[in-house]
Amino acid sequence: MSAESKPLPIVDVINLRKRYGLVQALKGISFSIGKGEIVGFLGPNGAGKSTTLRILSGLIPADSGEAKVCGVDLAEEEGEVRKHIGFLAENNPLPEELRVIEYLNFRANLKGLEGSRKRERIRLALDACDLERRIAERKIGNLSKGYRQRVGIADALLAEPRLVILDEPTIGLDPRQSAITRKMMERLRGDVSFLLSSHILSEVEACCDRMIILSHGQIVAEGTMNDLQKMFINKTVFEIVSSDSKIDLQKAIRRIDQSCELLYDDPVEVLSKRRFTFSTNRGEEKAEEILRALIKNEELSISEFQISRPDLETIFLRATKKNWEVQDYLGRGKKNRSAKIESHKPKTS
Amino acid sequence: MNGYWHILKHELFGLFISPSTYVASFYFLSLLGIGFRFFIEGFSNTAWILPPLSSLVVGLTFGAPALVPFLTMRSFAEERRLGTLETLMSAPVGSFGLVLGKWTAALFFFLIICALALCFPLLLWYGFPEQAVSLGFNELEHWIGGCAFLAIFGASFTAVGIFASCLTKNQMVAGMLTFTLLTLYLAAMAFTFGEHQNISSPSDLSQFLQVGLGSLNQGLNKAQHFAVGIIDLSTLLHQAVLTFLFLGLSTLQVERLKH
Repeated sequence: MSAESKPLPIVDVINLRKRYGLVQALKGISFSIGKGEIVGFLGPNGAGKSTTLRILSGLIPADSGEAKVCGVDLAEEEGEVRKHIGFLAENNPLPEELRVIEYLNFRANLKGLEGSRKRERIRLALDACDLERRIAERKIGNLSKGYRQRVGIADALLAEPRLVILDEPTIGLDPRQSAITRKMMERLRGDVSFLLSSHILSEVEACCDRMIILSHGQIVAEGTMNDLQKMFINKTVFEIVSSDSKIDLQKAIRRIDQSCELLYDDPVEVLSKRRFTFSTNRGEEKAEEILRALIKNEELSISEFQISRPDLETIFLRATKKNWEVQDYLGRGKKNRSAKIESHKPKTS
Repeated sequence: MNGYWHILKHELFGLFISPSTYVASFYFLSLLGIGFRFFIEGFSNTAWILPPLSSLVVGLTFGAPALVPFLTMRSFAEERRLGTLETLMSAPVGSFGLVLGKWTAALFFFLIICALALCFPLLLWYGFPEQAVSLGFNELEHWIGGCAFLAIFGASFTAVGIFASCLTKNQMVAGMLTFTLLTLYLAAMAFTFGEHQNISSPSDLSQFLQVGLGSLNQGLNKAQHFAVGIIDLSTLLHQAVLTFLFLGLSTLQVERLKH
């Protein structure tokens, strides 16, 4: 595909910076989100996730850099940008004295929806979030956390947004309610782009096309799950369940891959079988080649073979650990420098 | 001005369903009614310079510090406390539209309560027409002047209340701040009542400022003009300046909250 025919990204962020007093919350981050993508925004507390989301939703301005939503520059036309965005704030604050339908009606008015279109959009948003008529008539203050969260999401979906920003949408929800939220995103996949911030990594792994990992105001990793696995885990780990001896199995494997190492072996509940965990630094293809060779070898009896892929949690910890180490090092450097300065200061009695 | 009408409707709805508004209005009108009854009863024996209707208007103005905080303290302080201001700002709504919508709603409610208070002389007129005529309740200019006086002072008082509400997340603090600011302003007006400034030669700057800004506290003196149906333009202008000053400050504060 040529550069000219490439579709315009829904979100285009270039070198975004934000400072709160002495704290540099964002240190020049750049990323983009394509149409219909579901992107997970991850990072430890204080990494700058919420700041980025708040900048993108037009709530706070950036100090420098460029952020475009649907091709419109946030710094120039903040009001126009808000028309394309649905935003669910962290903790989802809602006016407790209003009924759900009254609240959605008010929000639809603010977003410029009128008449039959307004009624239609409210109905669709209620349906998308599984909010029945009975719930729509209830006061928000009397709703459970799960329903309140769904009201917030219904509000975010009201004005046919092209980008929906969800800041911790499933925080405090039970697994069933989290699954409903995921299903809702699945249903809308393709039409709407989602930028989802969450600490529940399994959920992000399950529903996001791509992840952006932030730490200390910087993007430390970005890509699909496969990209991140390749980026942070350079060894392929595979497990074999067999009744053969450790030495026989190792010999057979070493004939194919000299670099292969046995990490550990554990007994399996089935009598006389053991689970061997190997690692190779020659990729998944080599692991598959080993499997084929082991199956062909009639002297060995292999009952299970599995390439284990690292989960998002492992990747997240590794990605952010690197950054923590750098920050720690810089911090120590600073401390040492200040200690040196202190030691050079003339002592006063 | 984006979203002004919707904010206004939403705020009015919020005021109408809020119990605190009704409690405050009930006590305010009850106390005012009792005061008005005794004032009318003893009016013929006093040398009071203002006609009874204008006295009621001045009474309403002096009672405003007890009423306005109840109408304005929730507007921003409660939204900030609950975090709903952020949700509100995520919609295509401008800060000035938001401030203006909330202020108009508070002013509208204040005027409704004033209208209810003005029902006291109407009831008197309905029940005792002769006495009402002798007290001047049939003079149209008294009514026009009184309503204009209440509208312009109500506008500036509610603007002060909205500004105080922008400054804090605590409703009580916002209410007390509004009460203090309005009481100080009314006290300044009351203490300078009857003083007249000489505007013969406003040559140097200090004298000019004294003349220009000094009459801000002459509202009560000007009440005598309003009492006979003269709409004093300088009072109108001063209250408009105060109103826009506080609404402007409120807008700046809402913008500042974004950073």
